[in-house]
Amino acid sequence: MFRLHDVSYAHGGSARVAALSHISLDVPQGEFRWLLGPSGAGKSSLLSILSLEVQASAGMVEILGVPVMQARRSNLARLRRRIGTVWQDFRLLPDLSVFDNVALPLRLQHRAEDEIAHEVHAIMKWVGLENRLDARPLQLSGGEQQRVAIARAVIYRPALLLADEPTNALDERQAGRLMAMFHRLAELGTTIVVATHNDAIVEKYPAPAIELAHGHMVRDYR
Amino acid sequence: MARRRYHDGLALHQALPGQFLPFLVAAMSFLAALALAGGIAAHGLSQRWTHGAGAVTTVQVPGPDDPAAGSGTRIAAVQDILAHTPGIITAHRLSDAELRSLLAPWIEQTGDASLPLPAVIEVHTAAGQDPMPPLLPRLEAIAPGVMVEHDSVWSDRLAALAASLQACALLAVLIVMTVAVCVVMAATRAGLQTRRQAIALIHSLGAMDSYIAGRFASRVGLLALVGGLGGSLAALPMLLAMSHLAAPFSAVTDAQATAPVDWRDPRAWADIVPHALLWMLLALPPAAGMTGWVTTQLTVRAWLRRLP
Repeated sequence: MFRLHDVSYAHGGSARVAALSHISLDVPQGEFRWLLGPSGAGKSSLLSILSLEVQASAGMVEILGVPVMQARRSNLARLRRRIGTVWQDFRLLPDLSVFDNVALPLRLQHRAEDEIAHEVHAIMKWVGLENRLDARPLQLSGGEQQRVAIARAVIYRPALLLADEPTNALDERQAGRLMAMFHRLAELGTTIVVATHNDAIVEKYPAPAIELAHGHMVRDYR
Repeated sequence: MARRRYHDGLALHQALPGQFLPFLVAAMSFLAALALAGGIAAHGLSQRWTHGAGAVTTVQVPGPDDPAAGSGTRIAAVQDILAHTPGIITAHRLSDAELRSLLAPWIEQTGDASLPLPAVIEVHTAAGQDPMPPLLPRLEAIAPGVMVEHDSVWSDRLAALAASLQACALLAVLIVMTVAVCVVMAATRAGLQTRRQAIALIHSLGAMDSYIAGRFASRVGLLALVGGLGGSLAALPMLLAMSHLAAPFSAVTDAQATAPVDWRDPRAWADIVPHALLWMLLALPPAAGMTGWVTTQLTVRAWLRRLP
Protein backbone atom coordinates (compact mmCIF):
# COMPACT_ATOMS: atom_id res chain seq x y z
CA MET A 1 0.00 0.00 0.00
CA PHE A 2 1.04 3.57 -0.47
CA ARG A 3 -0.14 7.07 0.34
CA LEU A 4 0.70 10.32 -1.40
CA HIS A 5 -0.37 13.66 -0.01
CA ASP A 6 -0.07 16.88 -2.01
CA VAL A 7 2.93 15.54 -3.93
CA SER A 8 4.61 17.68 -6.59
CA TYR A 9 7.61 16.85 -8.72
CA ALA A 10 9.65 18.91 -11.16
CA HIS A 11 12.57 17.74 -13.29
CA GLY A 12 15.07 19.36 -15.64
CA GLY A 13 17.80 20.80 -13.40
CA SER A 14 17.90 24.59 -13.25
CA ALA A 15 15.14 25.03 -15.84
CA ARG A 16 12.62 23.12 -13.74
CA VAL A 17 9.59 21.69 -15.51
CA ALA A 18 6.64 20.65 -13.37
CA ALA A 19 5.84 16.99 -14.05
CA LEU A 20 3.37 16.42 -11.20
CA SER A 21 1.32 18.92 -9.20
CA HIS A 22 -0.47 18.34 -5.90
CA ILE A 23 -1.17 14.62 -6.27
CA SER A 24 -2.93 12.87 -3.39
CA LEU A 25 -3.59 9.13 -3.44
CA ASP A 26 -4.28 6.32 -1.00
CA VAL A 27 -4.05 2.79 -2.43
CA PRO A 28 -4.54 -0.03 0.10
CA GLN A 29 -2.81 -3.42 0.17
CA GLY A 30 -3.81 -5.93 -2.49
CA GLU A 31 -5.43 -3.35 -4.79
CA PHE A 32 -4.94 -3.20 -8.54
CA ARG A 33 -4.96 0.24 -10.21
CA TRP A 34 -4.66 1.30 -13.80
CA LEU A 35 -2.64 4.48 -14.22
CA LEU A 36 -4.06 6.27 -17.24
CA GLY A 37 -3.33 9.39 -19.22
CA PRO A 38 -1.82 10.53 -22.50
CA SER A 39 1.92 10.82 -23.11
CA GLY A 40 3.41 13.58 -20.93
CA ALA A 41 0.60 13.30 -18.38
CA GLY A 42 3.07 12.38 -15.61
CA LYS A 43 2.50 8.60 -15.42
CA SER A 44 6.20 7.74 -15.62
CA SER A 45 7.07 10.46 -13.09
CA LEU A 46 4.52 9.05 -10.65
CA LEU A 47 5.91 5.54 -11.13
CA SER A 48 9.45 6.91 -10.64
CA ILE A 49 8.42 8.39 -7.30
CA LEU A 50 6.73 5.15 -6.24
CA SER A 51 9.73 3.04 -7.32
CA LEU A 52 12.05 5.40 -5.36
CA GLU A 53 13.97 6.36 -8.51
CA VAL A 54 13.40 10.04 -7.78
CA GLN A 55 12.31 12.00 -4.75
CA ALA A 56 9.20 14.13 -4.78
CA SER A 57 9.91 17.88 -4.76
CA ALA A 58 7.17 18.49 -2.21
CA GLY A 59 4.48 16.68 -0.28
CA MET A 60 4.37 13.44 1.70
CA VAL A 61 5.10 9.98 0.29
CA GLU A 62 4.53 6.83 2.35
CA ILE A 63 5.20 3.46 0.77
CA LEU A 64 4.55 0.16 2.57
CA GLY A 65 4.43 2.09 5.83
CA VAL A 66 7.78 3.86 5.31
CA PRO A 67 7.78 7.68 5.17
CA VAL A 68 10.09 8.02 2.17
CA MET A 69 11.14 11.65 2.57
CA GLN A 70 12.50 11.04 6.09
CA ALA A 71 13.90 7.53 5.59
CA ARG A 72 17.63 6.73 5.82
CA ARG A 73 19.39 5.48 2.68
CA SER A 74 19.76 1.96 4.08
CA ASN A 75 16.03 1.81 4.84
CA LEU A 76 15.23 3.01 1.31
CA ALA A 77 17.44 0.20 -0.07
CA ARG A 78 15.51 -2.34 2.04
CA LEU A 79 12.23 -0.80 0.86
CA ARG A 80 13.33 -1.14 -2.80
CA ARG A 81 13.64 -4.90 -2.22
CA ARG A 82 9.89 -4.99 -1.59
CA ILE A 83 9.03 -3.06 -4.75
CA GLY A 84 9.04 -4.70 -8.19
CA THR A 85 9.22 -2.51 -11.27
CA VAL A 86 8.70 -3.30 -14.95
CA TRP A 87 10.22 -0.40 -16.83
CA GLN A 88 9.07 0.61 -20.27
CA ASP A 89 12.65 0.20 -21.59
CA PHE A 90 13.04 -3.15 -19.74
CA ARG A 91 16.52 -2.23 -18.34
CA LEU A 92 18.03 -5.67 -18.82
CA LEU A 93 21.80 -5.88 -18.48
CA PRO A 94 23.14 -6.83 -21.93
CA ASP A 95 26.26 -8.60 -20.68
CA LEU A 96 24.34 -10.95 -18.39
CA SER A 97 22.40 -14.01 -19.53
CA VAL A 98 18.63 -14.16 -19.19
CA PHE A 99 19.09 -16.42 -16.15
CA ASP A 100 21.43 -13.96 -14.45
CA ASN A 101 19.20 -10.98 -15.24
CA VAL A 102 16.20 -12.65 -13.64
CA ALA A 103 18.27 -13.96 -10.73
CA LEU A 104 19.73 -10.52 -9.98
CA PRO A 105 17.19 -9.36 -7.32
CA LEU A 106 17.50 -12.65 -5.43
CA ARG A 107 21.30 -12.50 -5.52
CA LEU A 108 21.21 -8.99 -4.08
CA GLN A 109 19.15 -10.49 -1.26
CA HIS A 110 21.90 -13.11 -0.78
CA ARG A 111 19.56 -16.06 -1.40
CA ALA A 112 21.09 -19.53 -1.78
CA GLU A 113 22.06 -20.45 -5.35
CA ASP A 114 19.92 -23.61 -5.31
CA GLU A 115 16.88 -21.62 -4.27
CA ILE A 116 17.65 -18.99 -6.92
CA ALA A 117 17.93 -21.62 -9.65
CA HIS A 118 14.61 -23.16 -8.59
CA GLU A 119 12.80 -19.79 -8.57
CA VAL A 120 14.27 -18.68 -11.88
CA HIS A 121 13.32 -21.91 -13.65
CA ALA A 122 9.79 -21.72 -12.26
CA ILE A 123 9.17 -18.11 -13.29
CA MET A 124 10.83 -18.54 -16.69
CA LYS A 125 8.65 -21.55 -17.35
CA TRP A 126 5.63 -19.43 -16.52
CA VAL A 127 6.64 -16.68 -18.98
CA GLY A 128 7.44 -19.33 -21.58
CA LEU A 129 11.16 -18.67 -21.88
CA GLU A 130 12.59 -21.65 -20.03
CA ASN A 131 14.60 -22.56 -23.14
CA ARG A 132 16.25 -19.14 -23.43
CA LEU A 133 18.02 -19.01 -20.05
CA ASP A 134 21.51 -18.81 -21.55
CA ALA A 135 20.62 -16.23 -24.21
CA ARG A 136 21.69 -12.59 -23.92
CA PRO A 137 18.92 -9.99 -23.86
CA LEU A 138 19.94 -8.56 -27.23
CA GLN A 139 19.38 -12.00 -28.77
CA LEU A 140 15.71 -11.83 -27.76
CA SER A 141 12.74 -10.15 -29.46
CA GLY A 142 11.07 -7.12 -27.85
CA GLY A 143 8.25 -9.27 -26.51
CA GLU A 144 10.69 -11.79 -25.03
CA GLN A 145 12.70 -9.02 -23.40
CA GLN A 146 9.51 -7.66 -21.88
CA ARG A 147 8.66 -11.08 -20.46
CA VAL A 148 12.15 -11.35 -18.95
CA ALA A 149 11.70 -7.89 -17.39
CA ILE A 150 8.35 -9.00 -15.94
CA ALA A 151 9.90 -12.20 -14.60
CA ARG A 152 12.65 -10.19 -12.86
CA ALA A 153 10.08 -7.85 -11.30
CA VAL A 154 7.86 -10.56 -9.83
CA ILE A 155 10.39 -13.26 -8.94
CA TYR A 156 10.79 -11.99 -5.37
CA ARG A 157 7.02 -11.54 -4.85
CA PRO A 158 7.13 -7.81 -4.14
CA ALA A 159 4.59 -6.13 -1.88
CA LEU A 160 4.22 -3.32 -4.44
CA LEU A 161 4.43 -3.98 -8.18
CA LEU A 162 4.75 -1.10 -10.64
CA ALA A 163 4.59 -1.61 -14.38
CA ASP A 164 5.00 0.95 -17.14
CA GLU A 165 3.27 -0.18 -20.35
CA PRO A 166 3.96 -3.87 -19.59
CA THR A 167 1.82 -5.21 -22.44
CA ASN A 168 3.29 -2.98 -25.16
CA ALA A 169 5.34 -5.67 -26.85
CA LEU A 170 3.11 -8.63 -25.95
CA ASP A 171 0.56 -10.35 -28.15
CA GLU A 172 -3.02 -10.68 -26.95
CA ARG A 173 -2.59 -14.14 -25.48
CA GLN A 174 0.51 -13.18 -23.53
CA ALA A 175 -1.12 -9.93 -22.38
CA GLY A 176 -4.05 -11.99 -21.11
CA ARG A 177 -1.73 -14.32 -19.19
CA LEU A 178 0.07 -11.31 -17.70
CA MET A 179 -3.17 -9.66 -16.56
CA ALA A 180 -4.30 -12.93 -15.00
CA MET A 181 -1.02 -13.09 -13.10
CA PHE A 182 -1.39 -9.49 -11.92
CA HIS A 183 -4.87 -10.22 -10.56
CA ARG A 184 -3.62 -13.37 -8.88
CA LEU A 185 -0.76 -11.42 -7.24
CA ALA A 186 -3.24 -8.76 -6.08
CA GLU A 187 -5.37 -11.48 -4.49
CA LEU A 188 -2.25 -12.65 -2.64
CA GLY A 189 -1.76 -9.14 -1.22
CA THR A 190 0.48 -7.36 -3.74
CA THR A 191 -0.51 -3.77 -4.50
CA ILE A 192 -0.24 -3.24 -8.26
CA VAL A 193 -0.13 -0.09 -10.40
CA VAL A 194 -0.02 -0.52 -14.18
CA ALA A 195 0.50 2.52 -16.39
CA THR A 196 -0.90 2.29 -19.90
CA HIS A 197 -2.52 4.29 -22.65
CA ASN A 198 -3.89 1.14 -24.26
CA ASP A 199 -7.64 1.71 -23.93
CA ALA A 200 -8.47 -1.72 -25.33
CA ILE A 201 -6.75 -3.61 -22.55
CA VAL A 202 -8.28 -1.34 -19.91
CA GLU A 203 -11.74 -2.06 -21.31
CA LYS A 204 -11.03 -5.77 -21.49
CA TYR A 205 -9.75 -5.93 -17.89
CA PRO A 206 -11.78 -3.36 -15.99
CA ALA A 207 -10.30 -2.21 -12.66
CA PRO A 208 -10.10 0.98 -10.57
CA ALA A 209 -8.00 3.67 -12.26
CA ILE A 210 -6.00 6.81 -11.55
CA GLU A 211 -6.09 9.28 -14.44
CA LEU A 212 -3.53 12.02 -14.95
CA ALA A 213 -3.37 14.93 -17.39
CA HIS A 214 -0.64 17.60 -17.58
CA GLY A 215 0.74 16.49 -14.20
CA HIS A 216 -2.57 16.85 -12.40
CA MET A 217 -4.84 14.13 -11.16
CA VAL A 218 -8.02 14.17 -13.19
CA ARG A 219 -9.72 11.48 -11.18
CA ASP A 220 -9.19 8.49 -8.91
CA TYR A 221 -12.16 6.27 -9.56
CA ARG A 222 -13.00 2.75 -8.58
CA MET B 1 20.47 -28.47 -10.09
CA ALA B 2 23.52 -26.96 -11.73
CA ARG B 3 25.17 -24.15 -9.83
CA ARG B 4 25.73 -21.08 -11.99
CA ARG B 5 28.50 -18.51 -11.87
CA TYR B 6 27.77 -15.58 -9.64
CA HIS B 7 27.04 -12.41 -11.64
CA ASP B 8 25.68 -9.17 -10.26
CA GLY B 9 26.05 -7.11 -13.42
CA LEU B 10 28.83 -4.83 -12.14
CA ALA B 11 31.38 -6.49 -14.46
CA LEU B 12 34.28 -4.97 -12.54
CA HIS B 13 36.89 -6.57 -14.80
CA GLN B 14 35.54 -4.24 -17.51
CA ALA B 15 35.06 -1.24 -15.23
CA LEU B 16 38.48 -1.54 -13.60
CA PRO B 17 40.87 -3.28 -16.02
CA GLY B 18 43.68 -5.21 -14.39
CA GLN B 19 46.61 -3.65 -16.28
CA PHE B 20 46.37 0.11 -15.83
CA LEU B 21 45.89 0.50 -12.08
CA PRO B 22 48.47 -2.03 -10.83
CA PHE B 23 51.09 -0.48 -13.11
CA LEU B 24 50.47 3.02 -11.76
CA VAL B 25 50.33 1.83 -8.15
CA ALA B 26 53.58 -0.09 -8.73
CA ALA B 27 55.24 3.11 -9.97
CA MET B 28 53.94 5.02 -6.94
CA SER B 29 55.07 2.27 -4.57
CA PHE B 30 58.52 2.26 -6.17
CA LEU B 31 58.87 6.02 -5.63
CA ALA B 32 57.52 5.72 -2.08
CA ALA B 33 60.03 2.94 -1.35
CA LEU B 34 62.90 5.15 -2.53
CA ALA B 35 61.67 8.11 -0.50
CA LEU B 36 61.19 5.98 2.61
CA ALA B 37 64.63 4.45 2.11
CA GLY B 38 66.08 7.97 2.01
CA GLY B 39 64.26 8.83 5.23
CA ILE B 40 65.42 5.67 6.99
CA ALA B 41 69.02 6.23 5.83
CA ALA B 42 68.92 9.83 7.04
CA HIS B 43 67.57 8.64 10.39
CA GLY B 44 70.38 6.07 10.68
CA LEU B 45 73.09 8.61 9.88
CA SER B 46 71.52 11.06 12.31
CA GLN B 47 71.71 8.45 15.07
CA ARG B 48 75.36 7.71 14.27
CA TRP B 49 76.35 11.35 14.07
CA THR B 50 74.62 12.46 17.23
CA HIS B 51 75.73 9.43 19.25
CA GLY B 52 79.20 9.14 17.72
CA ALA B 53 81.45 12.20 17.57
CA GLY B 54 79.06 14.26 19.62
CA ALA B 55 79.25 11.81 22.50
CA VAL B 56 82.90 12.58 23.27
CA THR B 57 83.58 15.25 25.91
CA THR B 58 86.96 16.64 26.89
CA VAL B 59 87.68 17.59 30.52
CA GLN B 60 90.78 19.76 31.19
CA VAL B 61 92.08 19.83 34.77
CA PRO B 62 94.70 22.60 35.38
CA GLY B 63 97.32 21.86 38.03
CA PRO B 64 96.38 18.17 38.15
CA ASP B 65 98.82 17.33 40.88
CA ASP B 66 97.75 20.19 43.17
CA PRO B 67 95.75 19.18 46.24
CA ALA B 68 92.02 19.03 45.71
CA ALA B 69 89.49 20.81 47.89
CA GLY B 70 88.90 17.60 49.87
CA SER B 71 91.83 15.17 49.93
CA GLY B 72 94.24 13.79 47.30
CA THR B 73 95.14 15.43 44.00
CA ARG B 74 92.78 17.28 41.74
CA ILE B 75 93.11 14.78 38.92
CA ALA B 76 92.42 11.82 41.22
CA ALA B 77 89.33 13.53 42.64
CA VAL B 78 87.98 14.40 39.18
CA GLN B 79 88.61 10.88 37.87
CA ASP B 80 86.89 9.42 40.92
CA ILE B 81 83.76 11.53 40.27
CA LEU B 82 83.74 10.64 36.56
CA ALA B 83 84.18 6.95 37.31
CA HIS B 84 81.09 6.92 39.53
CA THR B 85 78.81 9.01 37.35
CA PRO B 86 76.01 7.08 35.57
CA GLY B 87 75.94 7.64 31.81
CA ILE B 88 79.72 7.81 31.45
CA ILE B 89 81.08 4.75 29.68
CA THR B 90 84.82 5.50 29.82
CA ALA B 91 86.97 8.34 31.16
CA HIS B 92 90.44 8.01 29.69
CA ARG B 93 93.21 10.34 30.89
CA LEU B 94 95.56 11.14 28.02
CA SER B 95 99.14 10.15 28.81
CA ASP B 96 101.94 12.72 28.57
CA ALA B 97 102.98 11.20 25.26
CA GLU B 98 99.41 11.40 23.86
CA LEU B 99 99.09 14.95 25.08
CA ARG B 100 102.39 16.13 23.64
CA SER B 101 101.61 14.36 20.36
CA LEU B 102 98.28 16.20 20.27
CA LEU B 103 99.90 19.54 21.01
CA ALA B 104 103.05 18.98 18.94
CA PRO B 105 102.28 21.59 16.24
CA TRP B 106 101.85 24.38 18.79
CA ILE B 107 104.60 23.34 21.20
CA GLU B 108 107.11 23.01 18.39
CA GLN B 109 106.18 26.44 17.07
CA THR B 110 106.84 28.06 20.43
CA GLY B 111 109.82 25.84 21.01
CA ASP B 112 108.86 25.52 24.63
CA ALA B 113 108.37 21.94 25.75
CA SER B 114 108.33 22.71 29.45
CA LEU B 115 105.03 24.56 29.61
CA PRO B 116 102.80 23.37 32.48
CA LEU B 117 100.08 21.39 30.78
CA PRO B 118 96.68 20.56 32.22
CA ALA B 119 95.58 16.97 32.46
CA VAL B 120 93.11 16.02 29.71
CA ILE B 121 90.46 13.37 30.19
CA GLU B 122 88.50 12.04 27.20
CA VAL B 123 85.01 11.10 28.39
CA HIS B 124 82.71 8.83 26.32
CA THR B 125 79.08 9.07 27.33
CA ALA B 126 76.26 6.62 26.67
CA ALA B 127 74.06 7.18 23.60
CA GLY B 128 71.45 9.86 24.16
CA GLN B 129 72.83 10.90 27.54
CA ASP B 130 74.74 14.03 28.53
CA PRO B 131 75.65 13.81 32.24
CA MET B 132 78.34 16.54 32.09
CA PRO B 133 76.39 19.82 32.64
CA PRO B 134 75.04 18.87 36.11
CA LEU B 135 78.51 17.53 36.99
CA LEU B 136 80.37 20.76 36.27
CA PRO B 137 79.68 22.53 39.64
CA ARG B 138 81.02 19.50 41.56
CA LEU B 139 84.15 19.40 39.41
CA GLU B 140 84.62 23.17 39.86
CA ALA B 141 84.36 22.74 43.62
CA ILE B 142 87.20 20.22 43.86
CA ALA B 143 89.33 21.52 40.95
CA PRO B 144 88.84 25.25 40.34
CA GLY B 145 89.42 26.23 36.71
CA VAL B 146 88.34 22.85 35.33
CA MET B 147 87.04 23.11 31.72
CA VAL B 148 84.52 20.84 30.04
CA GLU B 149 84.29 20.98 26.24
CA HIS B 150 81.55 19.18 24.41
CA ASP B 151 82.22 19.61 20.73
CA SER B 152 78.62 19.41 19.54
CA VAL B 153 78.71 22.09 16.85
CA TRP B 154 79.29 19.65 13.98
CA SER B 155 77.12 16.93 15.37
CA ASP B 156 74.30 19.46 15.80
CA ARG B 157 74.72 20.61 12.21
CA LEU B 158 74.79 17.05 10.92
CA ALA B 159 71.72 16.22 13.00
CA ALA B 160 69.92 19.23 11.51
CA LEU B 161 70.93 18.11 8.02
CA ALA B 162 69.63 14.59 8.74
CA ALA B 163 66.38 16.00 10.12
CA SER B 164 65.84 18.08 6.98
CA LEU B 165 66.58 15.02 4.81
CA GLN B 166 63.99 13.07 6.81
CA ALA B 167 61.48 15.88 6.37
CA CYS B 168 62.13 15.88 2.59
CA ALA B 169 61.61 12.10 2.49
CA LEU B 170 58.37 12.43 4.44
CA LEU B 171 57.19 15.17 2.09
CA ALA B 172 58.04 13.01 -0.92
CA VAL B 173 56.08 10.08 0.56
CA LEU B 174 53.09 12.37 1.20
CA ILE B 175 53.20 13.66 -2.38
CA VAL B 176 53.43 10.12 -3.78
CA MET B 177 50.51 9.03 -1.57
CA THR B 178 48.43 12.02 -2.69
CA VAL B 179 49.11 11.24 -6.34
CA ALA B 180 48.28 7.57 -5.73
CA VAL B 181 44.98 8.52 -4.06
CA CYS B 182 44.15 10.81 -7.01
CA VAL B 183 44.96 8.04 -9.50
CA VAL B 184 42.74 5.57 -7.64
CA MET B 185 39.93 8.14 -7.44
CA ALA B 186 40.17 8.86 -11.17
CA ALA B 187 40.22 5.16 -12.07
CA THR B 188 37.27 4.45 -9.78
CA ARG B 189 35.25 7.35 -11.18
CA ALA B 190 35.97 6.15 -14.72
CA GLY B 191 34.85 2.66 -13.70
CA LEU B 192 31.66 4.01 -12.12
CA GLN B 193 30.93 5.99 -15.26
CA THR B 194 31.47 2.90 -17.42
CA ARG B 195 29.02 0.84 -15.36
CA ARG B 196 26.60 3.58 -14.35
CA GLN B 197 23.57 1.88 -15.93
CA ALA B 198 24.24 -1.41 -14.19
CA ILE B 199 24.87 0.41 -10.90
CA ALA B 200 21.64 2.40 -11.25
CA LEU B 201 19.76 -0.85 -11.93
CA ILE B 202 21.09 -2.83 -8.99
CA HIS B 203 20.61 0.26 -6.82
CA SER B 204 16.94 0.33 -7.85
CA LEU B 205 16.68 -3.41 -7.09
CA GLY B 206 17.73 -2.74 -3.50
CA ALA B 207 21.53 -3.04 -3.46
CA MET B 208 22.98 -1.22 -0.45
CA ASP B 209 25.63 1.47 -0.92
CA SER B 210 27.92 -0.69 1.23
CA TYR B 211 27.51 -3.61 -1.20
CA ILE B 212 28.37 -1.60 -4.32
CA ALA B 213 31.22 0.28 -2.60
CA GLY B 214 32.51 -3.00 -1.16
CA ARG B 215 32.58 -4.70 -4.56
CA PHE B 216 34.52 -1.82 -6.14
CA ALA B 217 36.82 -1.46 -3.12
CA SER B 218 37.67 -5.18 -3.08
CA ARG B 219 38.65 -5.04 -6.73
CA VAL B 220 40.72 -1.85 -6.40
CA GLY B 221 42.26 -3.02 -3.12
CA LEU B 222 43.41 -6.25 -4.78
CA LEU B 223 44.81 -4.42 -7.83
CA ALA B 224 46.60 -1.92 -5.56
CA LEU B 225 48.01 -4.78 -3.48
CA VAL B 226 49.40 -6.39 -6.63
CA GLY B 227 50.77 -3.02 -7.73
CA GLY B 228 52.36 -2.44 -4.33
CA LEU B 229 53.97 -5.87 -4.47
CA GLY B 230 55.36 -5.08 -7.92
CA GLY B 231 56.69 -1.72 -6.72
CA SER B 232 58.38 -3.30 -3.70
CA LEU B 233 59.99 -6.01 -5.80
CA ALA B 234 61.16 -3.44 -8.35
CA ALA B 235 62.66 -1.28 -5.59
CA LEU B 236 64.50 -4.15 -3.89
CA PRO B 237 67.51 -4.39 -6.29
CA MET B 238 67.97 -0.64 -6.27
CA LEU B 239 67.82 -0.45 -2.48
CA LEU B 240 70.30 -3.34 -2.21
CA ALA B 241 72.69 -1.52 -4.51
CA MET B 242 72.27 1.78 -2.68
CA SER B 243 72.71 0.13 0.72
CA HIS B 244 75.89 -1.55 -0.53
CA LEU B 245 77.27 1.75 -1.83
CA ALA B 246 76.37 3.48 1.44
CA ALA B 247 78.03 0.78 3.59
CA PRO B 248 81.16 2.90 4.32
CA PHE B 249 78.89 5.51 5.91
CA SER B 250 76.69 3.17 7.86
CA ALA B 251 78.89 0.21 8.81
CA VAL B 252 80.05 -0.04 12.40
CA THR B 253 83.51 -1.36 11.51
CA ASP B 254 85.81 -0.96 8.53
CA ALA B 255 85.68 -4.72 8.02
CA GLN B 256 81.92 -4.57 7.58
CA ALA B 257 82.17 -1.66 5.18
CA THR B 258 84.54 -3.41 2.84
CA ALA B 259 83.36 -7.01 3.24
CA PRO B 260 82.52 -8.73 -0.09
CA VAL B 261 78.84 -9.61 -0.62
CA ASP B 262 77.49 -12.88 -1.94
CA TRP B 263 74.58 -11.52 -3.98
CA ARG B 264 73.16 -15.02 -4.58
CA ASP B 265 72.47 -15.47 -0.87
CA PRO B 266 69.26 -13.65 0.28
CA ARG B 267 70.54 -13.83 3.87
CA ALA B 268 73.42 -11.61 2.83
CA TRP B 269 70.88 -9.04 1.62
CA ALA B 270 69.48 -8.79 5.13
CA ASP B 271 72.96 -7.86 6.37
CA ILE B 272 73.28 -5.07 3.80
CA VAL B 273 69.82 -3.51 3.94
CA PRO B 274 68.74 -1.96 7.26
CA HIS B 275 66.02 -4.03 8.90
CA ALA B 276 63.67 -1.05 9.04
CA LEU B 277 63.94 -0.83 5.26
CA LEU B 278 63.10 -4.52 4.82
CA TRP B 279 60.05 -4.16 7.05
CA MET B 280 59.05 -1.08 5.06
CA LEU B 281 59.26 -3.07 1.80
CA LEU B 282 57.08 -5.78 3.34
CA ALA B 283 54.56 -3.25 4.65
CA LEU B 284 54.30 -1.32 1.37
CA PRO B 285 52.00 -3.75 -0.55
CA PRO B 286 49.36 -4.02 2.22
CA ALA B 287 49.58 -0.26 2.74
CA ALA B 288 48.98 0.28 -0.99
CA GLY B 289 46.07 -2.18 -0.92
CA MET B 290 44.54 -0.51 2.13
CA THR B 291 44.96 2.96 0.61
CA GLY B 292 43.22 1.76 -2.57
CA TRP B 293 40.42 0.09 -0.61
CA VAL B 294 39.69 3.11 1.60
CA THR B 295 39.93 5.61 -1.29
CA THR B 296 37.55 3.54 -3.41
CA GLN B 297 35.05 3.09 -0.58
CA LEU B 298 34.88 6.86 -0.08
CA THR B 299 34.80 7.64 -3.83
CA VAL B 300 32.01 5.15 -4.59
CA ARG B 301 29.91 6.17 -1.59
CA ALA B 302 30.21 9.84 -2.59
CA TRP B 303 29.26 8.98 -6.19
CA LEU B 304 26.25 6.92 -5.06
CA ARG B 305 24.92 9.96 -3.19
CA ARG B 306 23.73 11.30 -6.55
CA LEU B 307 21.27 8.41 -6.67
CA PRO B 308 18.16 8.83 -4.48
